[in-house]
Amino acid sequence: MLTSLYVEGDTFLHRQRPGAKLALILVFGLALYFTELLAVQAAAVAVTGAIYFALPMPFREAVQRLKPVLFTIAVLAIFNGFVLSWQEALVSTLRLLAVVFLAAAVTATTRIADFMETITWALRPAERLGIVRAADVGLALGLVLRFLPDIFGHYEALKQAHAARGIAFRPLRAIGPLIILTLKDADAIADAIDARGIRGR
Amino acid sequence: MDIRFSDCSVKFKTHVALHPFSLVLTERRIGIIGLNGSGKTTFAKLIDGLVKPTSGTVTVNGLDTVKDAKAVLSVAGFIFQNPAQQLIMPQVMEDIVFGLKAHGLAPAEAETRAKAALSRFGIEALGPRRVHELSGGELQLAAIASVSATGPDILIFDEPVNQLDLKNRRRVVDAIHGLPENAIVISHDLPLIEDFDRVLVFHEGRIVFDGLPAAAIAHYREIAGC
Repeated sequence: MLTSLYVEGDTFLHRQRPGAKLALILVFGLALYFTELLAVQAAAVAVTGAIYFALPMPFREAVQRLKPVLFTIAVLAIFNGFVLSWQEALVSTLRLLAVVFLAAAVTATTRIADFMETITWALRPAERLGIVRAADVGLALGLVLRFLPDIFGHYEALKQAHAARGIAFRPLRAIGPLIILTLKDADAIADAIDARGIRGR
Repeated sequence: MDIRFSDCSVKFKTHVALHPFSLVLTERRIGIIGLNGSGKTTFAKLIDGLVKPTSGTVTVNGLDTVKDAKAVLSVAGFIFQNPAQQLIMPQVMEDIVFGLKAHGLAPAEAETRAKAALSRFGIEALGPRRVHELSGGELQLAAIASVSATGPDILIFDEPVNQLDLKNRRRVVDAIHGLPENAIVISHDLPLIEDFDRVLVFHEGRIVFDGLPAAAIAHYREIAGC
């Protein structure tokens, strides 16, 4: 079971500052957006894929944690294949894949606390303008990263519950219970955040 | 410790969770027992301000849980039934430091206080461990360390030994008994509250008994029919 998005290690990416890594995703994504060259997109996928799969985690886990997003990209690619030319569909699919690999590599090499601090710091100017509460956004992001593995855990538990009762498991049928379990978790976590006095200080 | 409930009641839409009651709690160890759905957790959450009274007032060490909600959170800490959901950061040490920094401590001071909190419960080894890897007992101890690190006067436990094996139960019970803080403990584990100073028995949203543990447990058994 996936227990945390962070992967312990001391790779080059682990040693970089979280702000620099987030800026890299932004610049890299924008750069890919401004080119339609198939060779460039393919090279980007090869490089980011190599970075991601070279991280110190089993190949199976590396694939497992990207499964939902890869599935979404595949659906999008099929849809694009119908409405765009095959070259355009391929470019857009490769672009998405490259960004996803890089973002997954950054997520796996950055501690949640560092993410939260960086996001909070980056949003301070917006807070001064009264647009957002920087700490709340940082906390929200941290909670998503921290509890995402729990949602996978619920999904696995539902699968096993079906198996135990000899019922064929259909992922679509699990969406309802999964949402309910996640919302119940969210309630309990919100209570805990309030109880610990973490917000609004 | 000085907790005062004055004509307090709690209603969720049409369901009355707690009927009007008045009560003063000053003892160091208070147990809360009762059947499922009898109002125990709602009562405990009233103390921490997590549930607001529909009528009446609740004060904790002179602080009103509605008007002084933030200050109350510094006085009363809550350890939930599922401690995994209250440890927000993936590593135990990170979580304690995070909680302390949220209370305004500088990073270096937060780190020192976090280490002291782990050492106080003899769980220094859990510091770098991931929350997902901890056993039930370790999770409870980590949550106790995390909440107590901020220095509350009162610790509220919601079924702290629920689903623990005997060894882990022993560890958590010892930790609770050894706390210098005041403790309010909801428990279905009756031996845990046997030597407490006072025990409240809840039934259908009412406090139906308030007294010494032995008599309270006998009363509870009568209600439960066993």
